[in-house]
Amino acid sequence: MTPILLAAEVTKRFGGLLACNGLSLAVRPGEIHALIGPNGAGKSTAIGLLSGEIAPDSGSIRFGGADVTRLGIAARVRTGLTRSFQITTILPQFTALQNVALVAQVRAGHSFHFWADAHRDAALVDPARAMLERVGLGKRAQVPAEDLAHGEQRQLELAMALMTGARMLLLDEPMAGLGATESQQMTAQLAALKGSLTVLLVEHDMDAVAALADQVSVMVAGRVIATGSFAEMQASQAVRDAYLGAHA
Amino acid sequence: MVETARQRLVAAILVLLLAALPALASLLAMPDLISLGTQVAIYAIATVGLNLLIGTTGLPSFGHAAFFGLGGYVVGILAFHAAEDSAVFGLFPGATDAWIVWPLAIIIAALAALLIGALSLRTAGVSFIMITLAFAQMLFYLFAALKTYGGDDGLGFRRRNALPWVSPRDDVAFYYVCAAALLLVLAGFHLVARSRFGNVLQGIRQSERRMAAIGLRSYRYKLAAFTLAGGVAGLAGALQANMLRFVSPDMLHWTTSGDFMVMVVLGGTGTLFGPVLGAAAMVLLQTWLAQWTEHWMIVMGPLLVAVILLARRGLWGALAGK
Repeated sequence: MTPILLAAEVTKRFGGLLACNGLSLAVRPGEIHALIGPNGAGKSTAIGLLSGEIAPDSGSIRFGGADVTRLGIAARVRTGLTRSFQITTILPQFTALQNVALVAQVRAGHSFHFWADAHRDAALVDPARAMLERVGLGKRAQVPAEDLAHGEQRQLELAMALMTGARMLLLDEPMAGLGATESQQMTAQLAALKGSLTVLLVEHDMDAVAALADQVSVMVAGRVIATGSFAEMQASQAVRDAYLGAHA
Repeated sequence: MVETARQRLVAAILVLLLAALPALASLLAMPDLISLGTQVAIYAIATVGLNLLIGTTGLPSFGHAAFFGLGGYVVGILAFHAAEDSAVFGLFPGATDAWIVWPLAIIIAALAALLIGALSLRTAGVSFIMITLAFAQMLFYLFAALKTYGGDDGLGFRRRNALPWVSPRDDVAFYYVCAAALLLVLAGFHLVARSRFGNVLQGIRQSERRMAAIGLRSYRYKLAAFTLAGGVAGLAGALQANMLRFVSPDMLHWTTSGDFMVMVVLGGTGTLFGPVLGAAAMVLLQTWLAQWTEHWMIVMGPLLVAVILLARRGLWGALAGK
C-alpha cells in the first residue's frame, strides 16, 4: 500500500544540535503508527517537522501524494494533516462547544461573515455537538474550556483535531499527565479511530503503544533505526541495545 | 458582552442618557454639556474601533491617532479647496457635503490602515506596538510639514459639512448626528463581535498558535480588523474636524493614540459599552480637573492605575458586573 505520509531524509539543525539527522518514515493509511525512542532522540522535533511547525533544512515530506515540505501548519491542516496534544491549550475562555464549533467554522471556509450570530448557527453548532458526544464530552458542552478537568481537555483536543476533517493525526504524547483511568479511556478512544483515520503518535507509555500500534518506529539520535510490529521491535537486538533494553 | 439583566440595564441607561443629554443640558442650565457630549461620542466611536483590536483581537495598536487624524484632514483639506475653489493635488475639486466627505474620510483612513496594517501585522508584541507608533508619528510629521495645509498651526474652515435637514450651525443637531453615529457603530460592532469574523478574532486573542493548528490563516483576519478599526477612526476624525471646524497635527500625535488606549482600558477592555464610559470619564475628568489645576494628569494617572488594579473590566465591569 502506498504510504499516506512519507518523510525522506529530513534534517533539522538547531545551532550545534542535529535534532533530526536524515529522518525517513513511511506511514500507511489507516494504521496507528507509534514513534518511540529515548529522551532527546528528536521525536518532538519530528512531529514539529511533520506538522509544519518547524521548517526542515533539507529532505522532503509528502502527504497524500503531494509535497507538503514547504507548507505551514494551517495549510497542512487544510490538506488533512492535523497535529494535536501539547501544541498549546485549547481556547480557555470559550466553552467546549464554542471550541469545537470554531473548528467547524474554519473548516467551512473563510470567516468574513460579519453579521449573523455564529453561536446560533446550526451549521456549526450541530456538528460540534455531535463531535463532543463522540468523544464523550456531550454533557460538558457549555463548560468553559479552562474549567474542564485535564483528561476532559484532552478529549476536547481530540474532538477539535477530528473536527478539522483530518485524514491523519499527529499526536504528541496523548497520555502524558493522564491518570491510569483517563489513560485507559484515551487508549480506547484512539483504538476506536483505527481504520477510519491514520495516526502517528509519540508515546512513552509502552502499555498504550502495545495496545494501539500497528507499526512501531524506533528513533535514536535523530533518525529512525527500525520499523516493525511492537513484538518485532521488542525482539530486535539493535532496538534493545539502543532503547528498549531498559524496558524489556 | 451584554448578557445579564444588570448589563442590559446599564446599557439601556447609557443609550437613554445619550438621547436625553440635550434635554438634560437645558434642564440643568449647563449648555456646555452639549459640546462635552459631542466630544464623548466622537472619542467613543474611535475607541470602539481600537477596542476591537486591543480587547477582541489582542492587538495593542499604538497608532490609532493616525487614522483619526487622516479622517480629520480629509474634511479639512476638502473644505480648504472648496473655499479656495481650487483642485486637490490639481485633480479634483474640494467638497463640503457630508455624504461625499465623510465616506471619503472613512475610505482613506481604512486604506491607510490596510497599508500600515499589512506591514505592522508581520510583527507581534512590543514590535507591533512600536511599529504602529512609528507609522503614526511619520504621518504626524508629514502633516506638520505640509505648509499648504497650515503645517504645525493646523487648518481652520468656516462651516461644518452640509447634511440634509441639519443646520451646520446648530450644535444640538450636530450632537445628535454624532450620537446617532455612535449608536450605529455600537450596533454594528455588537453584531460583528458575535459573528464568525468576531469568533475568529476572539480565538486569535486567546491563542494564535491554536488557530493555526485548526487550519486558520490569522493574518488576513487581523488585517481586516485593523482596516475596519482604521475606517471607524476615520469617521471619528471627520466628526472631530466638524465639531471644531479645525484640524491640526495634534490629532495624529502619539499622545492622542495614548488617550485612546487609556479610554479602552478605563472603560473596560473588550466590552461593547466600555469605550463610551472610558471616553466619558476621560473627557469629563479632563474638563473638570483642568478647571481646577493644569496638572490634571496628577489625578488622572493614579485613577487609571486604580481602575486597572481594582476593576477587571474597567468602569463597565464596575457598573455592570462581570
